[in-house]
Amino acid sequence: MEKSCSLLVHFDKGTPALANEIKEALEGNDTARKVDAMKKAVMLLLNGETLPQLFITIVRYVLPSEDHTVQKLLLLYLEIIDKTDSRGKILPEMILICQNLRNNLQHPNEYIRGVTLRFLSRLNEAELIEPLIHAILSNLEHRHAFVRRNAISAVMAIYKLPQGEHLLADAPDLIEKILGTEQDLSARRNAFLMLCNCAQERAVNYLLSHAESVSGWGDLLQMVVLELIRKVCRSNPGEKGKYMKIILSLLNSNSTAVMYECAGTLVSLSSAPTAIRAAANCYCQLLQSQSDNNVKLIVLDRLQELKASHREVMVEMIMDVLRALSSPNLDIRRKTLDIALDLITPRNIDEVVMTLKKEVVKTQSKELEKNGEYRQMLVQAIHSCALKFPEVASQVVHLLMDFLGDSNVASAIDVIIFVREIIETNPKLRESIMARLLDTFYQIQAPRVATCALWVVGEYSLSLPEVEAAISTIKQSLGELPFFRVAEDGEVIDSSFSKTTPQSTRGLASHSAPVVASSKRPAVLPDGTYATQSAAAEIAITAPSVSLASVGAAANLRAILLTGDFFLGAVVAATLTKLVLRFEEVQPSKIAVNKAVAEALLIMVSMLRLGQSSALPQPIDNDSVDRIILCIRILLGSDDVIKSVWLKGCRESFVKMIKDKQQQEIEEKKAKAQILHAQPDDLIDFYHLKSRKGMSQLELEDEVQNDLKRATGEFTKDTDSSRKLNRVLQLTGFSDPVYAEAYVTVHQYDIVLDVTVINRTNETLQNLCLELATMGDLKLVERPQNYTLAPEGRKQIRANIKVSSTETGVIFGNIVYETTSVLDRNVVVLNDIHIDIMDYISPASCADVVFRNMWAEFEWENKVAVNTTIQDVKEFLSHVVASTNMKCLTPSSALEGDSGFLAANLYAKSVFGEDALVNISVEKLPDGKLGGYIRIRSKTQGIALSLGDKITLKQKG
Amino acid sequence: MVVLAASVINKTGKALVSRQFVDMSRIRIEGLLAAFPKLVGIGKQHTYVETENVRYVYQPMESLYLLLVTNKQSNILEDLETLRLLSKLVPDYCPALDEEGICKVAFELIFAFDEVISLGHKEAVTIAQVKQYLEMESHEERLHQLIMQSKINETKDVMKRKANEIDKSKIDKLRSDKGRMIPMPIRLDNGFNDITSALSGEFGSNSGFGSSLDSDTFSKPKARVSAPAPTKGFGMQLGKTQKAAQFIESLKAEGEVIVEDVQQVIAGPSKSTALVTDPIAVAIEERLVVALKKDGGLENLEVQGTMFLTVQKKEDAYIRVQIETGANKGFQFKTHPSIDKELFSQQNILGLKDPNRPFPTGTPSGVVKWRMQSRQESLVPININCWPSVSGGETFVNIEYESSKTFELQNVLILIPLPALREPPIVNQVDGDWRYDSRKSVLEWSIVLIDNTNRNGSMEFVVPPTDSSSFFPIDVKFSAVRTFCDIKVASVNQTQGGNSLKFGGRTQLVVESYQVA
Repeated sequence: MEKSCSLLVHFDKGTPALANEIKEALEGNDTARKVDAMKKAVMLLLNGETLPQLFITIVRYVLPSEDHTVQKLLLLYLEIIDKTDSRGKILPEMILICQNLRNNLQHPNEYIRGVTLRFLSRLNEAELIEPLIHAILSNLEHRHAFVRRNAISAVMAIYKLPQGEHLLADAPDLIEKILGTEQDLSARRNAFLMLCNCAQERAVNYLLSHAESVSGWGDLLQMVVLELIRKVCRSNPGEKGKYMKIILSLLNSNSTAVMYECAGTLVSLSSAPTAIRAAANCYCQLLQSQSDNNVKLIVLDRLQELKASHREVMVEMIMDVLRALSSPNLDIRRKTLDIALDLITPRNIDEVVMTLKKEVVKTQSKELEKNGEYRQMLVQAIHSCALKFPEVASQVVHLLMDFLGDSNVASAIDVIIFVREIIETNPKLRESIMARLLDTFYQIQAPRVATCALWVVGEYSLSLPEVEAAISTIKQSLGELPFFRVAEDGEVIDSSFSKTTPQSTRGLASHSAPVVASSKRPAVLPDGTYATQSAAAEIAITAPSVSLASVGAAANLRAILLTGDFFLGAVVAATLTKLVLRFEEVQPSKIAVNKAVAEALLIMVSMLRLGQSSALPQPIDNDSVDRIILCIRILLGSDDVIKSVWLKGCRESFVKMIKDKQQQEIEEKKAKAQILHAQPDDLIDFYHLKSRKGMSQLELEDEVQNDLKRATGEFTKDTDSSRKLNRVLQLTGFSDPVYAEAYVTVHQYDIVLDVTVINRTNETLQNLCLELATMGDLKLVERPQNYTLAPEGRKQIRANIKVSSTETGVIFGNIVYETTSVLDRNVVVLNDIHIDIMDYISPASCADVVFRNMWAEFEWENKVAVNTTIQDVKEFLSHVVASTNMKCLTPSSALEGDSGFLAANLYAKSVFGEDALVNISVEKLPDGKLGGYIRIRSKTQGIALSLGDKITLKQKG
Repeated sequence: MVVLAASVINKTGKALVSRQFVDMSRIRIEGLLAAFPKLVGIGKQHTYVETENVRYVYQPMESLYLLLVTNKQSNILEDLETLRLLSKLVPDYCPALDEEGICKVAFELIFAFDEVISLGHKEAVTIAQVKQYLEMESHEERLHQLIMQSKINETKDVMKRKANEIDKSKIDKLRSDKGRMIPMPIRLDNGFNDITSALSGEFGSNSGFGSSLDSDTFSKPKARVSAPAPTKGFGMQLGKTQKAAQFIESLKAEGEVIVEDVQQVIAGPSKSTALVTDPIAVAIEERLVVALKKDGGLENLEVQGTMFLTVQKKEDAYIRVQIETGANKGFQFKTHPSIDKELFSQQNILGLKDPNRPFPTGTPSGVVKWRMQSRQESLVPININCWPSVSGGETFVNIEYESSKTFELQNVLILIPLPALREPPIVNQVDGDWRYDSRKSVLEWSIVLIDNTNRNGSMEFVVPPTDSSSFFPIDVKFSAVRTFCDIKVASVNQTQGGNSLKFGGRTQLVVESYQVA
């Protein structure tokens, strides 16, 4: 175990204080200077200097000082100096301070006594404490509570030392007596804590004999009581019953901290529904009563844990949980919805949806800044409710459709996707939804929403009046044809467009602007492909300067089209085709059909014209042209095959997609459920054989201990030794006079190098020093020390290196030594040690939207061309995933099939919380090789570069 | 429910102050703190971050974070309470919430953290209590000191009695056998040594008075021993006759007073040391107000001087002070109304109008005042020339001083105001020392002593381009032991009898305001 460090003070290396200056100031009589010098001495010590010569000065001149601050600083100094020699034996001069400590313990100033006692409770050297025992004990009866409480904690700390029981054999006795008489809350707490830690039975006895008065004990003490109860019940589960009453009485405590702790204790002790319910109730109470966001979030975390283990109980609490939605904080709302969504059952679904509906309405009435996002969350929540319980859809779908024209595009998209799904899964609602959709169609502003809405209209308008209404709605929203008028500007636009030179130059000129405007950064499309956004994307261009037919408020599609979004045009054309084809089926009158066909053709042609004219800054893209022309062809003459493709095939594949999605969800659930299954060797609780109802065995308390150990970094995972040996690096050659090899352990924030140095000569090497230097974000923690190495001797040297960001780092250095025969120093240069970035990143997952947002936001991109011997795209992907330790976000279903083309997103997080994004786009080239790019993006350069290097290195396969 | 550490760090994760309450290695805590800023989300409305192993509960304070590192099982409600308390305490001890400010009070903060959290557990304390704990004002300590003092006095009495007895016996013995004169002192000395060693033994062994107190100390007696020690020395030297013994007694009584005085002096301003120790002290102090023009030339020079007379004991208060003065052109003198004006103007003697009245004792009283105002440039003790010049993207400032030969100036401090700079200015050359006070944005040029060896001096520094007027007004501070007015005390005589008395004096010239604007 490394030396523990009890304080850190920033030390400015720019102003080094010299040891002799400090010494001089310490020897003087000026108190202020002495204080200053003591501070400097402590800082120097913290900075790694040893200042051995200062100790005697301090003993001589500082120890007798009367000044309180000097005395306190002296205690800090004593706290951090090395009190033992290299073999762990106490330094003889340390005994000099004992006298001073004893004086302090008998000092008339109670605060001096107190701080000295506090210092003693941090002291680990029994030899130093031994002579002071008597003085410490006498302080237990001091008049001031300040002294008593510190004395008690000192006694506890001493008793806990390895030799503590010999030093203070009667400590539990004493403390128990004190506990009976003590009035000060802190002192009582410390006393009880001491009994808990050192003499558990006594603590239990005391607690049980005072069970009635526990509720009046004061919060600090109550917390320890709860700690004790948990501890006792862990080692002796049968005794839980005794403490239940106490816990329940504490549950009504005035202190919220105690309430919280109580609930935690209840959960850890019992799985009886009543206990869980009480705990959940308590959490909900805190959730409502506490205004602090931190508390709310953490309480929600606890509720989430409860939900995982005791769903049935939590189901009853769902409405209480939902009340947390009243908080304006989005994180809290999100967590609340997460919890609530998992708890819905047929019984409470109505209530939940009502609440959600109310919240949605609320977002409409008040204009808060985050309303849009919140609404999106609610829509998603309602969506998933409706998926689970389709019957509620009818209640909400109409309300939600009001938001199709929402200015927050994301929530509008959510709504339309929801509608699309409901209309398929809920045939009963089809008619009403269609009617409603056509009503609200004019409000739709966003192209993506509009395309989706058009698809729904085209697919689900079945009856004659519906089809008619749909066609007329689309027509209306397109407005008057044509889309632009030729005459007014005197511009001639005809098919010979390309021949008129001034026109084309003009066209070019007007191109340049949008090129700039549309030179947006490339984005990752939802299917994982990496694309520069084409016309299909929303490009914010204001209405073109050509004089246009007046754009009515109703003509929303027209407005979008005129911004140059021809993808929408293609969708409109397809929708019209579908509608007309269906019209043919349901309309007996041939005349009406022909009219409809003609109108549809006119619209499509107008759109093509608009696209090819110079009226818009950017011409129609070829995809859209093809699509519209295809529609025209179909309308001009169609056969049954094509008809069935258009009218049925589309629908079928959508149905399939929904089914797939449900399938996938079910599978995920199954996978989750599988994890929850008991292990073969788990204990089985036989409900009927239990003596006390609902008391199950839980080892939760061990977690507390582990938790603390993990937090202090004491806890190290066991790695299998085979991996360990892989990390041994040879640093020098076998024929070098000094052989060195290092074993590198990478912890979370630090790297430990265990270097074995072997003297291969027959001489004694003196002042042997391992000098290391680093490149990258690495920092050496200690300065190297000098060693003497006997002939053929070996030495283990340990070096700590601090890591502060995810980056490939290099450690290099040399070994310097002197021999007796030669005066000058010899140097052996070491092999470089490369620290692998892979040790710092771990697979993580994030939502598709989040990923794309980060992708757009991050500054650094590293593009690596694919160059590999692997022949198969999927094999290549799995190879990259394996070698970079990342997670593939693209679902496996999207990667299925054998198209010779693959696009996938990978994601990982570093231990420092940095994100690493990778996009792979590969295709199989005709010659059988793979081609394409791997792009890495991150917020910092380091990750992008190191990860790129790593991939370049590993991709060969 | 354990707080692992309480820290103040900056936005880059550098730990300014951190106090750990459980054992953890340095690399671990530094790693945790360094990782923290990267974990803090932007625009989050909650102030905790959880990682795999720990939870951070924090509060931003201007450009810093106050941070508690806890384990994840820790009780958030309690931790928030603790954090709230600390966040109120920190600004109390550190008015400037920046790195420099925190570093200055780092240790005070550590002490405060210690009071709020003990061994990772929250203490039930309020801010007022924490402050009280940190002040460490103990009633008992004062009481104890009083008791100690009286014990010492008592012991001294005992000592005196013993000394008297020895004196007596010595005299008796002298009377009885006068023949053995020579060996006696040796034996006496031995006897005295015995007593003193017995006494100091008593102090050291702590059995004399410590046992009756519930709280006996070790360091106290040792420190106290030093106070009576010199009086013991006197005791041995003077302990030859009965009369001398009485003198010891009075001296000791006084000695006690002196000891106390010394303690006060240490606490008070060191200026008055000279005044207090002499039975009669005359202090001549001149205050100087100078306003110089930026482009040379003197706006105004004014000197105001006062002579203070301090008489320690009533017996010495019936005195007259003979004064010597030079030509003193342009000086106007004024005496205290109760001073005999004629005596002063004719014989340069300061005496009270009523010779039977004493001067006031114990406090310094002004007896003569004088004043001089002039525009004569040659009188100015130090001239400052400041030449800012812009060159390239920087302003070079050359400053030089020129001191007149009449004075030796001590602790000269020239304060040049600078525009607010992020970094200290680059000083190319300086005679003396310089320091940059970023808070006030003032460059301090200090010269410990200006005498004939360095009547001229200069400094050059570079700052980013600035308007030349922003380097003014320049303030100068110094002191000197000579005054403008040629006046000194020749002798002090008793009113009756005319015996001359010993007196101490001090002459000082201080700057009240010295500005170049």
